Amino acid sequence: MKKMRSIPLKRNSIVLTAVLFILAVFAWAGWANWEYRQQAAEKLLASAARGELVPDPAGGMPQYQSPFMGKAAPAFALDDLGGKKVSLASYKGKAVLINFWATWCGPCKIETPWLIELRNKYAGQGFEILGISTEGDDLKADDKAGWAKDKAAIAKFVAQQKVPYPVLVDGDSLSQAYGGLDAMPTSFFVDRKGNVVAAQMGLTSESEIEANIKKALAD
Amino acid sequence: MTKMTKKIGCAAILALGLVPLLAHGQNIAQSRPLVKGDAVQYLFPEQVTLPAGKPSPVTLHFRVAQGLHINSHTPREDYLIPTTFSIPDGSGVRLDGAVYPAGADMTLPIDTKTKLSVYTGEFAIQVRIAPAPGNHLVEAKLHYQACDQNQCLPPKTITVPIDVIGK
Repeated sequence: MKKMRSIPLKRNSIVLTAVLFILAVFAWAGWANWEYRQQAAEKLLASAARGELVPDPAGGMPQYQSPFMGKAAPAFALDDLGGKKVSLASYKGKAVLINFWATWCGPCKIETPWLIELRNKYAGQGFEILGISTEGDDLKADDKAGWAKDKAAIAKFVAQQKVPYPVLVDGDSLSQAYGGLDAMPTSFFVDRKGNVVAAQMGLTSESEIEANIKKALAD
Repeated sequence: MTKMTKKIGCAAILALGLVPLLAHGQNIAQSRPLVKGDAVQYLFPEQVTLPAGKPSPVTLHFRVAQGLHINSHTPREDYLIPTTFSIPDGSGVRLDGAVYPAGADMTLPIDTKTKLSVYTGEFAIQVRIAPAPGNHLVEAKLHYQACDQNQCLPPKTITVPIDVIGK
């Protein structure tokens, strides 16, 4: 009699174990699938993320909303005018203003003296500007003469304005990573930890740029 | 297997099956572009009939999007990109010359000292073109660089499609 009762009990235990095992496999597969899709969605979001100008409800200038606010500034390493590689990572621990500009951009020329003044004012507190020339022209990669002409125009501007901070070339290669760079100038203010704390598109004012520099230096 | 075990199993499978679906349904936010479409639009003519082999005048009409300006063909500063019209080689149509309109004077509110020479609204370029005999769907080009009062868009080349019939 005892034997008769223990057989179904044993069978139930085996079935229960099997069910639990199957459930565990399903749970693991579901979690792995979710994780995979999450990563794919994040990748898609990063590639599709674009900054946009949003009208100011108070009637002021439109505000630039960057998809990178509060997030790590996308890493890069570009050549400076002397051909030396300069990376954003090498400025970790400093507050950095990444300023995308172009030689054909009138508003960029207006803001450059402000940037120079502010850079000199806050450099002692651990602040630096990285000017990134973003010509956005229809130049083909193999158009050596075209690139040389662009580089000469950049060098001329840098010399004329006596720009004291590093100026890097080929900002166009960062266009997608930095949300499209639909217009110049576009600036990202990065704190000492490497996170974007403010962003601006278009000419604003020296006081607004200064306020954002202070934000980047605050942490 | 008891009924309860079966129910738990089914519920767990359904719940786990929903996880990837929910993940898949994540909304990928798409922002609107700064300027919809091109800053400059070609208006007309779509088709012209001209004497074959002889340079003839054609007036091409364009429109600059509201709130934007583009540099004229002769901007005052050498760093600014001039508006230029061209016809690619091998189009069956030769560009003999182009007369661009004079730019309008403009100053930015933030920099009233610098005077710009720009096109806004509608403008027309008078070109002289000489077609080879026959029908040519020409993809001419207009290169320009547009700005508004605070920011500038990257330089752009748009296609100017003209059906040129050389008779």
